[in-house]
Amino acid sequence: MSKVNPPNEKPANGNQQPKVGVYVCRCGGNISDVVSVEKVAEAAGQMPDVVVARQNTFMCSHPGQQMIVDDIAKLGLNRVVVAACSPRLHELTFRKTLVRAGLNAYLFEHANIREQVSWVSKSDPEGATAKATRLVGAAVAKVRLSRPLDPIKVDATRQVLIIGGGVSGLRCARDLSQSGFRVVLVEQSAALGGRLTELGRLYPVQVEAREVLHSLISEVSRDAAIQVLTSAEVTAVSGSIGNFSVAVRCAQQETTIHVGAIVLATGFDTYEPLPGEYGYAEFPEVITLPQFVRLLEKQGPSDGQLQRNGRPVKNVCLVHCVGSRQIEGIHQPGPDGRLHEYCSRFCCTAALQAANEIRARFPAVNVFDVYRDIRTYGRGHESYYEQASKQGVIFFRFLAEQLPQIRRADADGSALVVQVKDTLTWGEDLEIPADLVVLVTGAVPRDLSRLIDMLKLSRSPDGFLQEVHPKLRPVETAVSGVFLAGGCQAPMDVGESCTAASAAAARVSAALLKGYVELEPFAAVADPALCTGTGACIEVCQHQRAISLVDVMADGVTLRRAQVNPALCGGCGMCVPACPHGAIQVDGWRLEQFEAMVDAIAADY
Amino acid sequence: MSEVQQARRPKILLLATTACAYPGADYVGQIHSEYSTDTYIIRVPALAVFPPEFYLRCFQKGIDGIIAMSCGHECPYPGAYERFAERIGRAQELMKRQGLDARRLRTTAICTVCGRAFLKEVQDMVQRVAQSGGQLVGK
Ligand SMILES: Cc1cc2nc3c(=O)[nH]c(=O)nc-3n(C[C@H](O)[C@H](O)[C@H](O)COP(=O)(O)OP(=O)(O)OC[C@H]3O[C@@H](n4cnc5c(N)ncnc54)[C@H](O)[C@@H]3O)c2cc1C
Repeated sequence: MSKVNPPNEKPANGNQQPKVGVYVCRCGGNISDVVSVEKVAEAAGQMPDVVVARQNTFMCSHPGQQMIVDDIAKLGLNRVVVAACSPRLHELTFRKTLVRAGLNAYLFEHANIREQVSWVSKSDPEGATAKATRLVGAAVAKVRLSRPLDPIKVDATRQVLIIGGGVSGLRCARDLSQSGFRVVLVEQSAALGGRLTELGRLYPVQVEAREVLHSLISEVSRDAAIQVLTSAEVTAVSGSIGNFSVAVRCAQQETTIHVGAIVLATGFDTYEPLPGEYGYAEFPEVITLPQFVRLLEKQGPSDGQLQRNGRPVKNVCLVHCVGSRQIEGIHQPGPDGRLHEYCSRFCCTAALQAANEIRARFPAVNVFDVYRDIRTYGRGHESYYEQASKQGVIFFRFLAEQLPQIRRADADGSALVVQVKDTLTWGEDLEIPADLVVLVTGAVPRDLSRLIDMLKLSRSPDGFLQEVHPKLRPVETAVSGVFLAGGCQAPMDVGESCTAASAAAARVSAALLKGYVELEPFAAVADPALCTGTGACIEVCQHQRAISLVDVMADGVTLRRAQVNPALCGGCGMCVPACPHGAIQVDGWRLEQFEAMVDAIAADY
Repeated sequence: MSEVQQARRPKILLLATTACAYPGADYVGQIHSEYSTDTYIIRVPALAVFPPEFYLRCFQKGIDGIIAMSCGHECPYPGAYERFAERIGRAQELMKRQGLDARRLRTTAICTVCGRAFLKEVQDMVQRVAQSGGQLVGK
């Protein structure tokens, strides 16, 4: 299954005198606005074994990477340090740069001077520069002791777990099955379909949500390669890309499934207004957009009337941006203490679609649309706005600093009055009669704390699940083998969710199609020259059969020595302090490398 | 950099696990919260790799405070957290025996979005180090 690296193998460019190149990234000002990258590069130039130290606006860009490639060729560099954003974003990028230039990928070190320096030290540029310099010093100290390493190959399971059976999970399941993978789809509720089960017509092409779901669900249920588990939940995850073990509880039974990758398709929740926010939970005539969509569904056009609480509705008022684009000092944070600063994106067009539907089905009903901005950003969305204008929907626009107010009407007629300082009429105070107020609520992150803990995922500042890079690696998480599809990542409409789901399926295929995955080579290695065969490492090791004692021949005598199977070793390093002779170390993270980093941090430059 | 060095600044080492505390520190950066520049983060797969002597060596070399930021019981390596806790315990014993203030070595669990906990731990250590005026070394 995998090859056992002979511990003393030192391929080319590992055992020569280190020649280190240091590259300090400005990150287009993200770093250089706080840290003096010139000073950092200058100080780095004086560090031991550093042959060249430069700075660049974007090290991850083509010219930035090419600079490294050229220096390796011209100056014969055999070690590289890049000081830039978090290694979680670009360590892989630069390892590949080294490989392109003919160097081993693991003769690279990444110093994090953005997330862990410039972004957290705005008021102390001098201190930040000194800190960045020391972190570069530590990276240089570590890379000087680096050895070339080869990735560990392990067989990959050609089965994928998808968590969440909404439109994203369904789309992803079909795509994966069509690429030849087996899929287990775990849905926590009793039925497939997610949010779409609650929607009627979907913009942009006015297709029925029911139809979209019906065709996808019947494809999925006919597909022998897809196993659907409803009323099911994931309770534990272990392993890594290629070989995850996942415990799933379904119908009171716990089963373990083996998968090569995991896709999260858990969607989002909708915002629940705070009691009293725009009269919500105070006046029964105030409801949210999802509630209104269900109301429209129930009341067929045959009634010829829109009703609320048994009373005919003559005036409907929509209020946009409820629970989205919140501003500190103006909006109240929710129970989770969070403000929702982002735009929920689908709600403007969904609201306009609802407005148009009212005008078309109930022509006697007036529709008032009270908005901050209309963001009909997507293909085919703007026509909903145009149509609404043509159909006589009346628009009002408010500023965030002057939120509309809702109160009971004093006189007969409509139940409520919406007061707006309307910027379309240059700030006039207008009063809108309303029998029904629809709060256009957006998306909020779901509570996924258990999954986040189990899978070690990151959340974005918005609280949604975070990708590695919003442009370059948009559906991968920082946990290798775990991918994102759809609304769990950000507010998305159905088209966007399916695009993301297909992208996730394609990334899973790219990761698993070869039938094996390459794991980082950070496994323990026992040095037969220091090992005396005490077996102390085996005693502490928790990974079955990762270390064993084997017979080796030296000078005609047979000796018992520890040997590590890197495919089974987790790379935790628990064995390192256990050895009385310091004979076992984790490749890539040797104790002497940590000590050298500490020395560099303790040193003055 | 000479002017920076005139008054010796303290040095606080943050040993942060790859799976939890290190992304936790990145998260603090993503939300642009500020904390002392006297802190230095080293990424570590699992803290169980360090023998107790490692921590003592850090102090000898001039590190003023260490926060070992683990994944706690969320540690992805079976058994590693428990080993780490044992080894830290031994390190603190050794510190006391050598007359070092054991509070200079803190352990805490930091998750990928534990921004507030991260900032509090750092702030506490900065204060602890400052209060003792860099004289945390018992002599
Ligand atoms: C009022 C409203 C109107 C809308 N109108 C439109 C429209 O007209 N056109 C349009 O394109 N889009 C519209 N949208 C957006 C649309 O709803 C989303 O794009 C879509 O639902 C996203 O699909 P998803 O599969 O990512 O998430 P979801 O539909 O939310 O599905 C997620 C699924 O994951 C399951 N799940 C969650 N957590 C777990 C867990 N831990 N374990 C197992 N399963 C889990 C859930 O039960 C659910 O079944 C509208 C949204 C709203 C709220």
